[in-house]
Amino acid sequence: MPFSYYARLTRSQQAVYRKSDEIAEVRLPRPAALHPAVSALTAALATEDRAQVQRATERLIRDLTDAFGVPPVQVEVLAARPHAKWGELHGLYTVERGKPPRIQLWMRTAKQRRVVAFRTYLRTLLHEVGHHLDYALLRLRESYHTQGFYQRESSLFHQLVVEPRTPWPSVEAWFHRTPDERLARLASMPGQVAGVLGERSERALARRPAAGAWAPVEIVCHLRDTEETFGARFEAILGMDEPALPEVGPADRWAAERQYLRHDAALALAHFRRRRGESLETLVALSPSDWQRGGEHPARGRLSIDMLVALMAWHDDNHLEQLTRAGEGQP
Amino acid sequence: MPSMEEYAKQPREQRMQRLTRTADELAGATKSQSEAVLSRRPDAKNWAAKEVVCHLRDAEEAFGGRFEQILAMDVDPKLGGASADRIADERQYLRNDTAEALAAFRQRRRETLEVFGKLTAAQWDKGGIHPVRGRITLDGFLTLMAWHDDNHLDQLRRALDGKA
Repeated sequence: MPFSYYARLTRSQQAVYRKSDEIAEVRLPRPAALHPAVSALTAALATEDRAQVQRATERLIRDLTDAFGVPPVQVEVLAARPHAKWGELHGLYTVERGKPPRIQLWMRTAKQRRVVAFRTYLRTLLHEVGHHLDYALLRLRESYHTQGFYQRESSLFHQLVVEPRTPWPSVEAWFHRTPDERLARLASMPGQVAGVLGERSERALARRPAAGAWAPVEIVCHLRDTEETFGARFEAILGMDEPALPEVGPADRWAAERQYLRHDAALALAHFRRRRGESLETLVALSPSDWQRGGEHPARGRLSIDMLVALMAWHDDNHLEQLTRAGEGQP
Repeated sequence: MPSMEEYAKQPREQRMQRLTRTADELAGATKSQSEAVLSRRPDAKNWAAKEVVCHLRDAEEAFGGRFEQILAMDVDPKLGGASADRIADERQYLRNDTAEALAAFRQRRRETLEVFGKLTAAQWDKGGIHPVRGRITLDGFLTLMAWHDDNHLDQLRRALDGKA
């Protein structure tokens, strides 16, 4: 749904708007390479010294333009934001014929003259860089504030700022939770995976955040195929007395051999959902003594169903976290 | 194409030779075939050539898992049976690259032959309970795999000709 001003644009402007709206992200080739510049900017803002903030801002913007292979921009960091009835000006991107493009950023609030919080400052910086990328990288004739534009700004922010995440429970911690808690965790996984995949394009889902780190589609395929293995293990344990549980994979070998990168993620998720449903159907029908049945794994030793379910809950947490990171371009 | 019974009568070495040739025979049959031909199902039910190659690749891994289980246990394990059609669907065989799938099969087959090459006489007689075929020894698996190769090579050649 375009913003209301779309109706006031000419046809050719609307075409530019739509093109801008369709591009939800711009990916840095190596986001981690820019993290030192982001840290330096955090430190510079903490000093509240304009010259230091100027230098740190120039560095980060230069790193960004270099990373995208686009022409540099002039950067000017100013003190208190200009303000009027319409509000405060946070940043400004201007292009004048015959001059290099220029980004101006204000580091203090208009009235209180306090130094702007780091995240707000960085968002403003990326917003103005976003206008530059619209022209220089995406070759758009105009740089409109479309939903796609804001998504691109956000995608850059998340590539540059690695959020601290809450550590998930260990296998041992899951093992000490009730079966119902563990089964509830397993039941919620397909919906959580669907939430992360969202409306991302096939291309975005097949993009690896770094060499050797799985793309989102590979993670979903891994969940699907692991669920099949868990199912086979339950079947073996319930059908035999302490069976040997063969080692499978390894997971990276599966990903390569089964060509996960070529798979359709939505289809893989549908199949994972079905396999997960079957696992839950088996598990809810078990008696407490069935939960203690087990088999011998060559690497992990004896594994009871009780322990396998804890392992599955942990495995879900682990890969949901990995999937979330991969979706943000983080390994 | 020899039947299972005929294969069972062949010396082990001859059956192993059959297994050794399969990857090259698949390569010969699929070489210079277009993507469209490799992906074409002869009818709504039957597999395209690339699905046959992917099936052989994944079946080889499954055989390996069974051998591992049989060799690790003192009693005959009950061997699980997965639906090949379900796996073809789930693992999206039609989206695979045939040459890559064949390379992976070739590697898995090499590993199978390595396992077979190291078995003692007593181990060849170890077995498991197959869901359809009943008790089957590792020697019986060698027979089954030789027949399975023939069967799917034939299916693959038919699929390339557009026949079910």
